[in-house]
Amino acid sequence: MKQHPLCTDCERESNVLGMPIPAGLKREWAAIETRRQFLGRSGKVLGWAALASLIGDRGPRGNVFAADTKQGLANSQAAPLLAPHFAPKAKRAIYLFMSGGPSQIDLLDYKPNLAAQFNKDMPDSVRGSQQLTGMTAGQAHFPIAPPHWTFRRHGETGTWVSDLLPYTAKMVDDLTIVKSTNTDAINHEPAIMLMNTGNMNAGKPCLGSWLSYGLGSMNDNLPTFIVLQTKVNTKENNQPVSSRLWSSGFLSSQYAGVGLRSGGDPVLFLTDPDGVDREVRRQMLNAVEEINRQTLAEVGDPETNARIAQYEMAYRMQASVPELVDLSQEPQSTWDLYGPDAKVPGTFAYNCLLARRMAERGVRFTQIYKRGWDMHDNVTGMMPLLCGETDRGCYALVTDLKRRGLLDDTLVIWAGEFGRTVYSQGGLTPENYGRDHHPRCFTTWMTGGGVRPGISYGETDDYSYNVVKDPVHVRDFNATILHCLGIDHNKLAYKFQGLDQKLTGPVPASVVQGLLA
Amino acid sequence: MTLGRTASSNAVKPATGKRGVRRAWIAAVTASVVVVLLPVLLRLDGRPHSELEHFFGRFHVLAVHIPIGLLVLVPVLEITARYRPVLREAAGFVLALAFAACAGSAILGILLAHSAGETGVTVTRHLWGGVVLTLSVLACLAVRPLWLSFTAPRAYPLALTIAMVALVWTTHLGGSLTHGDHYLTEFMPAPMKKLAAFGSSGSAPAASFYAMHIDPIFQSNCVLCHGANKREAELRLDSYTGAMSGGKDGAVILAGKPQQSLLLQRVTLPASDKHFMPANGRPPLTSREIDWIRAWIQQGASQSATSLAGVNLPEEAKEPPLQPVGDYSALVAEIRAMQAGQGAKLLSVSNQPSDGLILSTSDTGRNFGDAQLAQFEKFAPYIVEAELGRTAVTDACFDTLAKFTHLRALHLEGTTITGAGLAKLAPLTQLTYLNLSGTQLTSAAAAQLSSIGNLHHVYLFNTPAQPTPAAGSSPSPDGSK
Repeated sequence: MKQHPLCTDCERESNVLGMPIPAGLKREWAAIETRRQFLGRSGKVLGWAALASLIGDRGPRGNVFAADTKQGLANSQAAPLLAPHFAPKAKRAIYLFMSGGPSQIDLLDYKPNLAAQFNKDMPDSVRGSQQLTGMTAGQAHFPIAPPHWTFRRHGETGTWVSDLLPYTAKMVDDLTIVKSTNTDAINHEPAIMLMNTGNMNAGKPCLGSWLSYGLGSMNDNLPTFIVLQTKVNTKENNQPVSSRLWSSGFLSSQYAGVGLRSGGDPVLFLTDPDGVDREVRRQMLNAVEEINRQTLAEVGDPETNARIAQYEMAYRMQASVPELVDLSQEPQSTWDLYGPDAKVPGTFAYNCLLARRMAERGVRFTQIYKRGWDMHDNVTGMMPLLCGETDRGCYALVTDLKRRGLLDDTLVIWAGEFGRTVYSQGGLTPENYGRDHHPRCFTTWMTGGGVRPGISYGETDDYSYNVVKDPVHVRDFNATILHCLGIDHNKLAYKFQGLDQKLTGPVPASVVQGLLA
Repeated sequence: MTLGRTASSNAVKPATGKRGVRRAWIAAVTASVVVVLLPVLLRLDGRPHSELEHFFGRFHVLAVHIPIGLLVLVPVLEITARYRPVLREAAGFVLALAFAACAGSAILGILLAHSAGETGVTVTRHLWGGVVLTLSVLACLAVRPLWLSFTAPRAYPLALTIAMVALVWTTHLGGSLTHGDHYLTEFMPAPMKKLAAFGSSGSAPAASFYAMHIDPIFQSNCVLCHGANKREAELRLDSYTGAMSGGKDGAVILAGKPQQSLLLQRVTLPASDKHFMPANGRPPLTSREIDWIRAWIQQGASQSATSLAGVNLPEEAKEPPLQPVGDYSALVAEIRAMQAGQGAKLLSVSNQPSDGLILSTSDTGRNFGDAQLAQFEKFAPYIVEAELGRTAVTDACFDTLAKFTHLRALHLEGTTITGAGLAKLAPLTQLTYLNLSGTQLTSAAAAQLSSIGNLHHVYLFNTPAQPTPAAGSSPSPDGSK
C-alpha cells in the first residue's frame, strides 16, 4: 500500500527487496510490482486522458486547471492568451436581477387602450391555447386590469414611462429597452434558472461563471464574479433566491459567484483572530497549499486547484474587501445621487454603490438580486414599495458610471425572470388587482458598452400578452450579453457529458443585432 | 412563316409516340395541380417549419434561373423560326423544358416560403405570380399544337405574351425579395431616375433634410400602411411627391402651416384618440421626430433644403479608424508570466493579436507608480488601453505615455495628477477616451485637452476643472465633452 501524503502515522511500506530472502523470490516480486505499478499508473493515465478530452481546449480558457500549477503553466505556453473572441465593447457587466417577475404593464410597456377596457374579459384569441399557472387556470374570467399609474413621455426619445419610475424616466435616453423578451417557463424556479444559466434544470453554469471562465479576472484581489443580495423586505412576496443561480455547474468551482452578505460584515471572519498576524496567516496558508498540492499530485482532482485558488483569494480579500466596502471616502455627490438608503448596508441603493466600486476595481461581473416582485395580489400596494426601493438605485448606478467614464465599457442589465399578465389574478377593483406570471413577453433593459442607447426594441400586442415584432428569447438575450463582452456564444463551449455545453443551450440562439450600438 | 409552322408540326409528331405524349401530359397536368394546391395546403403562417423542407426550399433561389432562361428563349426561337424553320421544333422542346423547370422551381419556392416562415405582400404576390406563370406556360403547351395546325391562330401568341408578362412581374418581385426594393434604381443616374419615377416618387437630393431626417421617420413609422404595399386612406408616404399629394382627405402637409397639416395633427393627438397615428398601437413618434417634422413643414416642407433654422442635429462623433498593432507573439511568454503573478499585467483585448493589449493595474493600487509604468515601455506599441486609475502615477507619466503610440483609452481616474504636461499626449492620434475624473486636474491643464485631436470621451467629474452643471439640473451626467 502506498502511503497517502496526509497520513503520518501509518506503517511504512515494507521494502521487499531489502529483506533477507532468496534472489529468485525478489525477482518475482519485482516483476509483480512492476506490473502492478504499470496497471496502477495506466489507470491514472487513462483518467487524465479522459479528463483532458472532457475539458478540451475549445473554450478560450483552454486548459482549465493548468493555470495554477507550475507544470501547467509551462505546458500552456503554446496556447493563446486568455482573451475574448473579438474586441469587446464592454469589459464588465452589472446585472440588476429583479427576482419575482416585475410587471411590464405597470412599468415600461405602455398600452394606452387598456384603460377603456377595465374589467372586460381579455379575448380568448389573445391567450390561445396557453396553459396557465395553477393560480389562475381555474379563473372563470380574465378581467383586464389597466395599469393603476399614469404614463408620460420622457427624454429626447419620448419614451413612455410609468410614474412609478421617476428616476428611470430621467435616463430613458441612455437605455436600450427590450419589450419583447420572452421565456419558456411560467414558474419562478425554472424561469430564473433559465434566465441565469440558460437551462431550467439546475447544474449548468450561470452567465457570471461563463464570463469568468471565458474572460478571466481583471483583479486578482477580488473575485471575478460577485453576487450581492438585497435585504429582504418582509412585506413583499419574496421568492427564494439560491446559490444555484450563481453556481459554476460543471465548470471548476473557482468560477462560481462569490456572495457578499447583505448585513453585518460583507464577508465573515475577514479579520484575523487575536494573536494571528498576517505573517502567521501566510505561513499557515503556505503549509495548507503544500498539502493540497500533494493531494493534487496524488488524486489529480482539478477541484483541488480550485480550493488552493480560493484559499489564496480569501487571503487577498482580507485586504481588498475592507477597502472595497469602506465608503468613508465617497464624496458628497455620491450621497446626493444614490440617496440616503445607500448608507444602509444591504439596501438596493447600497448594493448599486458597491457595484460601481467593484466596476472601478475590475470585478468582471456583479449581480445584484432584488426579491419581492412576485405580485399575485395588491399590486397597487406593492409596486410603489418595490419601485421606491430600486428606481433611484438603478438611476444612480447608471448615472454614476456615466459621469465617471465607466459606462463606456460596462454593460448594465435590468431584468427579471418573466413578466406579468394583463388580466387580474383574483378580484379586480378600481383600486387594486393582482397579476399572475407571464412568460410570453416581459420588458428588460440594458445600457452601456455595446448596446444602442435610446431605443425600444420589440413590440407586444395591445394586451402586452404576445410579442408581435422582434421577439428576444432568453437565449438571444444572453447571446447578446456575451457578444457585448466580446464572446461568440457558439464558441464559448465546454465539453461535458458528451456535449459541447453552452450558455445558450443546444437550440440555435442569435445575437440581437438591433440592440447593438 | 406558314411553311415553317407546318413543317415543324409534321416533324414533331413522328418523333414522340402517342402514349409518350399522353404520359407527358398527365405528368404536366399533375405538376400544375400540385403547384396550385400547394400554397393552399401549406398556408404561409409566418412560422418556420421543417428544416428538411427549408433545405430543399433554399434551392429555389438557384433553380429559379433555369425557367427564366428557357422561357425567354421560347419567343426568340419562335420568331427566328420564321427564317430558320428547323428551330420551330426546338421551340416546342424548350417550352416543354421550361414548363418542367417552372413547375419545379415554383414547388421549391412554395416550400421555401412556407418553411422559412415568410409572409408579406411581396412574398404572397411572388408566390401567386409563380403559380400564374406555371399555369400560363401550361396553357402555352396546350394551345401550341392548335396554333401549329392553324385551328386557333391567336391563342398561343396570347398565352405566350401572358407568360412573358407573368415572368417579368414574378422575377421582379423575386429580385425585390432578395435584394430589396430599390436595388435596380439605387444607382440609376439622376435624370433617368426622374423619368423612371413617373411623377409618383421624386427623389430628394441625398443630403437634404427631408432625405436625411424626415423620410427615415416616415419609412420606419408610416410606410408599412401608407406605402407601396398598402395604401391606407390612399396616402403614400414613401416618397416626397406621395407625401405632398396627400390622400383621400386631401393634402396632409401644408407647407408653412404645421398646425393645419393633417399629418402633424394626427401624430400629436392623444394616443387614445382613434385618429391617432401611427395606428394600431404602434409606438408613437418621439418628441424629437415630431419637432423635426413641425420645423420642416414650418419652413416650407422643402425637398431639397439641407438644413433648418432652429434644428440642431446631433453631430456624429467620428472615431478615427483603428490602427492594428503589430505582432507581439515574441513577448507572449513574458506577458503570460506577468499574468500568473501578482501586480500590473497585460491582458489581450481579444484573441486577435492585432487588437492589442490592455495594461491593467487594478491589483496593484498605490504600488504602481511612474517607475513601474516606465517598465512597460517595451510593450508600448502594443498597448491600446492603459488602466492607471487609482495608481500612484504622477504628471511625469505623460512622458512615458507619449510613447504609447497606439493608445486608444487612458484611465487616470482617482490619481493625483494635475494635468501639467497633458499636451505631451498630443501625438497620440488614436487616443479617443481619457478619464481624468477624481483627479486634481486644473482648469488650465484642462485647456490643453483641445490639443489632443481625436478625443471624444473625456471625463472630468469630481475635478477642479469640472464644468459646473447647469443650474437647476439635479445630479446628472456631466463632464463628458
